[in-house]
Amino acid sequence: MLGWTKGLAYTLKNLTREKVTYDYPNEPLPLPDRFRGVQKFYPEKCIVCNQCANICPTDCIQLTGKKHPDPAKKGKIIDTYDINFEICILCDLCTEVCPTEAIVMTNNFELADYSRDELFKNLEWLDENDENIRKVNKA
Amino acid sequence: MIRTEEMLLNVGPQHPSTHGVFRLVLKIDGEIIVEATPVIGYLHRGTEKLAENLQYTQIIPYTDRMDYISAMTNNYVICHAVETMMGIQVPERAEYLRVLAMELNRVASHLLWWGTYILDFGATSPLLYAFRERELIINLLNELSGARITFNYMRVGGVKWDAPEGWIEKVADFVPYMREQLKGYHDLVTGNEIFLNRTKGIGKYTKEDALNYSLSGPNLRCTGIKWDLRKDEPYSIYDRFDFNVVTREDGDAYSRYECRLAEIEESLKIIEQAAEQFPKDGETMAKVPKIIKVPKGEGFVRIEASRGEIGCYIASDGKKEPYRMKFRRPSFYNLQILPKLLKGENISNLIAILGAVDIVLGEVDG
Repeated sequence: MLGWTKGLAYTLKNLTREKVTYDYPNEPLPLPDRFRGVQKFYPEKCIVCNQCANICPTDCIQLTGKKHPDPAKKGKIIDTYDINFEICILCDLCTEVCPTEAIVMTNNFELADYSRDELFKNLEWLDENDENIRKVNKA
Repeated sequence: MIRTEEMLLNVGPQHPSTHGVFRLVLKIDGEIIVEATPVIGYLHRGTEKLAENLQYTQIIPYTDRMDYISAMTNNYVICHAVETMMGIQVPERAEYLRVLAMELNRVASHLLWWGTYILDFGATSPLLYAFRERELIINLLNELSGARITFNYMRVGGVKWDAPEGWIEKVADFVPYMREQLKGYHDLVTGNEIFLNRTKGIGKYTKEDALNYSLSGPNLRCTGIKWDLRKDEPYSIYDRFDFNVVTREDGDAYSRYECRLAEIEESLKIIEQAAEQFPKDGETMAKVPKIIKVPKGEGFVRIEASRGEIGCYIASDGKKEPYRMKFRRPSFYNLQILPKLLKGENISNLIAILGAVDIVLGEVDG
């Protein structure tokens, strides 16, 4: 048999196969639980230990803490928490080092925006980002 | 008398067939290439220099971005280098997960090459078939590591995640499916007369040339030299698997094509055996200090990535960051033979020759 007719036979065989594509923007894309999307931040869990900012390979996390409002309690609470998604590479190291799981990954990956400024996500935004949060966070 | 004149032609850096930002300055006489000068560096990010200010764990996501088509092998080489220098024993289960991840990634990488190489010749459908199967692998690796391309899966001393439930079974199921599809690939392309005419005898070089240009991977094995680090210098647990080193004799674009497709089969053999032998339980992480400090000294390891030998050199002064880090990036070395191959060739063979080298620009530029 000629080589190209074999190829044509393969193509014809594939005509009747089930389709493998997703109707993506209309249907949400199924993603596994471990998927690394934009982080969700729990301000009440954070102990301002700075480990996430230190481990970040691209230095995209900026955070400040303030004294606990209740003078009886020791330690700090979070004041501001910003992630710059212009340079964040979603490497998952910040969630890996967080001792209280105050920062976790979600399945939300749609980061496109109309301006660069909108890629600076602050504490409020990261706190409200509470859909599709990763369930099992540590191996 | 016909007067001929040399012409300067720029191919790239934004050319679909250069698979990235690669520029070729061609001096052509009619249709014949007189001289070809590759210009690289458009994707240079200075990984090696950046690494000097980063802790070892922080460097791993950067290695994902070098050879972004097979990031698992890059992850492995840096972890392997640090582990070798620190003398860390990696748990068995982690080694199996690493091998499975690397071999799956090798298959995905060769599939992407196969699809795009045929696309360079103008055939669109093989690309779609290749991506259909590659997507399954990417999904498997996504379930394992949480990312589709930049996995950041391996850590010094083990792996980040254990296999999710049912993952090994899914991998085992994938092997026979992929074997079946490979047969279809051969039907679709390997016997096609147009394809054969365009690749046989094109971009030919000898064993000596291959060695002199320090080529590695399928680019070396296509000349008949049997050299595969998985067999010749077994690292990880590759000595436990039964597989062959694929070689071809001709050294042309077609033998490189055959080598890569046959390597997919060999990788599938390894995946099958690894899934079978996969330990039921065990740790996935060795005992590693929280802050990794490599002892003072130098170290170099090399492994077989999908494009050839990838090496990692670390010079450490005992701190948590390396003093100097160097990656031997196979695409960069393999690309060096290109000007020699192109000289005297017809310009219509340019893309067939460039594609057969299989470069990833992230790796060429570092």
